[in-house]
Amino acid sequence: MAPASHPAVFTTQSPYPLPPQMFMIPATWSRYQLSQLVNKALTLAKPIPFDFLLRGDLLKTSLADWCTQNAVGEEETLEIEYIESVLPPQKMSDLPHDDWVSAVSCQLEQRFLTASYDGQLRAFDYSQHQTWSSAIHSAPITSFCIVPSTSADSHLIATASHDLTAQLTEITLATAQKTKPLASLHLHTAPLSSVAANSSGSQILTASWDGLVGLWDTVVPETDEVPEPAAGDRKKRRKIEENKPKRKAPLMVLKSHTARVSGAVFNDEKTAYSCSFDSTIRSWDLEHGVCANTITSSERPFLSLSLAPSSAPFTVLATSTDRTISQYDFRDPHPLASLTLTHPATPSCIVRSPRHPHQILSGAYDGAARIWDLRSVKGATPVASFKPWDGDKKILGVDWKIGGVVGVAGEGGLGVWKVGEGA
Amino acid sequence: MATLPRSKKRKQSSEDVVAAVEAPAFSAPVQSLEMLSDDEGPEETASDDGQVDEFPEIDGASDSEEEALGDDEDEEDEDEETDEEDFEEADSDDSLDRDIFPKPKTIISDITGQPKRVYPEIEPDYDSDSSTEDTQNRVGDVPMHWYDDLPHVGYDMDGKKVLRPARGDELDKFLSTVEDPSAWTSAFDKTAQMDKPLSAEELDIIRRLYANEVPDASYDPYEPMTEWFTGKGKEEIMPLSAAPEPKRRWVPSKWEKQKVMKIVRAIRQGRIISSKPKTASKLDFYSIWSEPSTSHAPPLPAPKPRLPTNSESYNPPEEYLPSEAERAEWEALDPEDRERDYLPKKHSALRLVPAYDRFIKERFSRQLDLYLAPRIQRVKLNIDPSTLIPKLPSPQSLKPFPNYKSLKFTHSGRARCISISPDGAWVISGDEGGVVSLWEVNVGREVKRWKFEGKIGALEWCPRLDVSYFVVGVEEALHFVIPPNVPSSVLLLTQSLLAPTTLPPAPETPSPVKWVTPPTSSWSPDTAILTVHLPPSSGLPKQITWHRRGDYMASVSSGGTQGGVWMHQITRRHSQAPFKKIRGAVQLVLFHPLKPHFFVATQQYVRIYNLSEQKLLKTLTPGIKWISSMDVHPSGDHLIVGGYDRKLCWFDLELSDKPYKILRYHTRAIRSLAFHPTYPLFASSSDDGAIQVFHSRVYNDLMTDPLIVPLKILRGHTVKDGLGVLQVKWCARQPWLVSGGADGTVGLWCS
Repeated sequence: MAPASHPAVFTTQSPYPLPPQMFMIPATWSRYQLSQLVNKALTLAKPIPFDFLLRGDLLKTSLADWCTQNAVGEEETLEIEYIESVLPPQKMSDLPHDDWVSAVSCQLEQRFLTASYDGQLRAFDYSQHQTWSSAIHSAPITSFCIVPSTSADSHLIATASHDLTAQLTEITLATAQKTKPLASLHLHTAPLSSVAANSSGSQILTASWDGLVGLWDTVVPETDEVPEPAAGDRKKRRKIEENKPKRKAPLMVLKSHTARVSGAVFNDEKTAYSCSFDSTIRSWDLEHGVCANTITSSERPFLSLSLAPSSAPFTVLATSTDRTISQYDFRDPHPLASLTLTHPATPSCIVRSPRHPHQILSGAYDGAARIWDLRSVKGATPVASFKPWDGDKKILGVDWKIGGVVGVAGEGGLGVWKVGEGA
Repeated sequence: MATLPRSKKRKQSSEDVVAAVEAPAFSAPVQSLEMLSDDEGPEETASDDGQVDEFPEIDGASDSEEEALGDDEDEEDEDEETDEEDFEEADSDDSLDRDIFPKPKTIISDITGQPKRVYPEIEPDYDSDSSTEDTQNRVGDVPMHWYDDLPHVGYDMDGKKVLRPARGDELDKFLSTVEDPSAWTSAFDKTAQMDKPLSAEELDIIRRLYANEVPDASYDPYEPMTEWFTGKGKEEIMPLSAAPEPKRRWVPSKWEKQKVMKIVRAIRQGRIISSKPKTASKLDFYSIWSEPSTSHAPPLPAPKPRLPTNSESYNPPEEYLPSEAERAEWEALDPEDRERDYLPKKHSALRLVPAYDRFIKERFSRQLDLYLAPRIQRVKLNIDPSTLIPKLPSPQSLKPFPNYKSLKFTHSGRARCISISPDGAWVISGDEGGVVSLWEVNVGREVKRWKFEGKIGALEWCPRLDVSYFVVGVEEALHFVIPPNVPSSVLLLTQSLLAPTTLPPAPETPSPVKWVTPPTSSWSPDTAILTVHLPPSSGLPKQITWHRRGDYMASVSSGGTQGGVWMHQITRRHSQAPFKKIRGAVQLVLFHPLKPHFFVATQQYVRIYNLSEQKLLKTLTPGIKWISSMDVHPSGDHLIVGGYDRKLCWFDLELSDKPYKILRYHTRAIRSLAFHPTYPLFASSSDDGAIQVFHSRVYNDLMTDPLIVPLKILRGHTVKDGLGVLQVKWCARQPWLVSGGADGTVGLWCS
C-alpha cells in the first residue's frame, strides 16, 4: 500500500522564497523531512533549518498526525508556511552576582549592564569580567534603562529604585571609568517599578507603586527643582555636596491608574503605554498628559509590558499574574486579548526580538526563559525555552540584543545566552 | 276420469304405510278391494272430485271458520243447521265421505248478502259416529269365518246378500301395490272382507302412535289453565269443606314416639354407636403448597422471567455483538452494576454452543441466597448521587481566587506569623528564630531583615495608611518597627506618632505595661523605635490585632493574669487590661470592623463585648472543643471560628448564637482563618498542609443565606512535626493569599 500523501503549497515570508508549485508530501513526513525538501528545492549552499506553520500552528508531529488532530482530509491542499527555525539557545556565560539582579541591558557595545537589589549597577565585558560597578542607590534598583545619547564613550543611565526616586547617572566605561550622578527624580511616594526612555533620549517615563507615571526630560537642572525635606540629617549631605545629584521635578504626572503601575514604555515620541495592577493598560497622550485609551481586562494584574514586535504597531504585550502573556491592540475599539501565551509560572518580564518581527522572549518565576513565535498561536507552546540556572530561581529581567545575545537577569545573577535567530 | 290416477295414487301411498304396518297377508284382499272400487268409481268420483282437491283448504278453513264464526252466527245458523241435517239424512249415500270430509254448502248470507260456505254442524251425540258403521254388511258381530264358504259375506240393511268382493291372486296384489299409489295406505276391512283406504285421521293416529304422542290429534296437553276461582268475583267465600281439622294434625304421633324411643333405647344400650370415630390409623394429608396458610401474608409471586431477546440468541445479529470497547467496559464494571449478566456471543451452529459456564456458580449463589438471604423485599433507593450534591456555582465563574503558588520565601525556622502591609505591597514574616523579614509581595526579594531575641509570636502591620509601621510581638514585649524606604512625610509622621517629643500625660492608674522609646540618637532602621514591655511572666504574645482606625491595638499573651489580654492605645501610650477576670483561657481577640464590639474567643466560647458600654452582648457556642482561629467578615455581621478539632463554624451574628453552618473538610486541625477585606473570599489553613479557599458571598438581604462555595485546595506546604500551614493572610487589594508554614516557607498564591 502506497503511503498517503498530501498536496501542499509552500509559502514564506523569509528571504528564501520557493517558486509556487504543488508538492505531494508523504503524510509520514515531519519537520525534518520538510526542511530537507525545502533546502533541496532552494539548492542552498549552507542548509538552513526551517520550521513549518500549518494554519498558524507550528508543526511538531508528523503531517498525518497533525491532519488527524485538526481533522484535515487527505485531499485538501495544505498551505505550509516555512519560517527559519530557532536554533536551540546556547549558554555563553554565567555571571554570578551577590544579590538578585533585577534588570539587564545588553545594548552597550561589548558590555552588559546589570542592576541589582543591592543598589549597584555593574558592567561586564564579554570575557565575563566585571569592569565597573557603582552604588547608585541605597535601596534595591528595580529597573534601569540606557538613555540614548550622542556621545560615544559616556552613557546616560536612568535607574529606578525602591528609595522612591529614579536617578540619572552618567557613566563612562571606556578608559577612565567615571560615574557621575546627574539628577534624582523626585515625584513618587512609593517604590518605583520601572523606568523607560524614548528612542531620541529626550524623555523618561517612570512607573511607581503609588499609581503614578512620571514623565521627565533628560535635561539636568542647574539647581534643585524640588526642595529637600526639612530633615535633620544635613551633615551627611554636606559631605557629598559636590557629588550630589540635582533634585529634579517631573515634566508631567500621568495619573489614572488606581493601583501599582508595574510598567511603562514609550511607543513613539508622543504616546506611551503603561500597565498596572488594576488590570488596565493605558495609552497616554504625552503632549497633553492625559490618558488616551484604556484597555481593561478582568482580574488580570499586569506585571510588565513590552511593545509587540515590529509586525504589529499599536500593540502591546503584557504579562500578568494569571500566568499569561496577553497581546492587546489599541486600535481595536473593544480590545480583547488577541493572543494569550500561557506559562506554568508567573511570567515576570518580556522583551521583543530586536530583529525578528514575530518573536518575543519571556522570563518566568520558574526559572525558564521562553521564546515564542507570535504566528504560532494555536498551540501556544514556546518555540524554544532554556533555563539559565538550576532549580527554580526566578527570572526578573531579560534583554535581547541584535545578533542573538540574550541576557537573563534574576535570582541567580546574569546568564548570557546565544539565541539563534536563523542566520 | 282424469282425476282417477290421482286418487289412485293417493290410495297407493296410504297403502304403503299400511303395508309397513300390517302383515303382508292382507295385501291380496286390498288388491281385490281396489279392483272392486273401480266399479263404484263413477259414483264416488263425483263426490270425491272436489273433496280430494280441496282437502287441505277445507281442513284448515273449517277449523278457523268454526272458531271465527263462533258466537256470532250461532243463532243465525240455527235454521241452516237443521236444514243441513235433513240434507245429510237424505243424502245417506255420501255419509261416509261426508263424515270424514264435511262438505260445505254455499249459501247467500242473510246479513251480508254475499255467498258463503256453511259446513254442516257436527252433533256430538253417540249416534253421530254411526257414519263409521255405514257398511252395507249388517251381519253383526259374528265370526266372519262362518261365511268363508259362502259367496256372500253378509246381508245389508235390506236383507240382500252382500257379495264377497273378488280377491286377486298374489300377482294382482303386487300389481296393485305398483300401480295404485294409495295401496300402501289401505287396510283390510274384516267386515267388508276387502282393503279399504285409510283416512287421513287414521293415518295421523298411526303416525302419532309411532311417535309416542297422544293419538288424539285434538287433544292439547298444554291447553291454558282455566282460572275458575281466581280473579275478581270468582273467589270462594266459603271453605270447600266444613269438616273440622282431624285430630292427627295436632296430637303427637304415638307410633313415631315408639319408633324414636326404640332408637333411643338402642343408642343407650350401645347397640347403635353414634358418630363412630373414623379410623385412627388413617393419615391426613394436607396440600401445603396449594393452600395459603392463613397466619402469614401470602408469599410474593415470583416475578415473571423476562422473555429472551435477540441478544440472548446463540446466533445474534451482528449489531448485538459487543465491540471491544463495550466488552472492556462491561468487564470493568462490578458484576452487580452490570446491566446484563451476559455478553452476546455468536455461534454459527447450535451444536457449537458450549455448556453454560456459570452453571455451578449460579447454583452456588442460589444456595447462598437460600442459606443467607432472608426472603424479604429489598428496598433499594434509586437516587442519583449527583442529585444529593447541592447546586453550587462552578468555581470558574467565581474567579478570581488564588490558584497557584507564585513564589516562595524561605525562613530557617517555622514561619509562624505573617502580615501584609495595608497597601498590599509588602509582607513581613516572622519565624521562631527571631527573624522578621520584609519582602515585597511580587518579587519575593527580602529587602530588610530584623533580628529579635526569642521567638516571634505575632506580627501585625498598622492599618493606618498615613503612617507606616508594624508591631512585632516577642517574649513579654511588643516592638514597633518602621520599614525602610518610606516617604519622608510618612516617616516623620510615624516617628512623631511613636516617639513624640512631648509625651502624653501619664494615666492616673499606673499600668504594669511600660512604653519605652530609645533616645533619638540611637534610632536606626534595624531596631525598634518603640517597645512596649508587657508585665513579667506574661509570656509570648500569641496574637496582635488592630482596631481598624489604627489607634487601638489588642494583644493576647500566652501567660499572665487577666487572660493575657491587653489593650494598647498608641496615641496615649497607654495599655490596659480590659478584663479583670475572664473565664477560660483566651485564645483570640478581635475588634469588630464597624461597631465598638470586641470578640473574645476562649477555648470553647466566643463572647462579644460592647466596649463603649462595657458589657457582655452575646456568647456564641460553636461546639468546638478548642478554638484555634477566628475572623470576622468585613461587614461585621458574620464570624468564622475554626478549631483544632477540624471544625469550622460560620456564625451569622444577627441570627443566632449557634453556628449557621459547620464545615469539616480539613483532615487535621485548623490553624488559621482569614476573610479577604474586599473580595468575597476566605481561606483556612490546616495542619494537613493544605489551604482551602472558599467563596463566601454575604448578601445585604437578610433573607438570603450566605453562599459558601469551596473553590480551591492549595497544596504546597509540607507538614513538619505535625504542623502544617500556620497562618494565612490576604493581600489587601488583590485576590492573593500569603501563607506561612511550619516548613519555613512563606508562599504567595496568585490568581
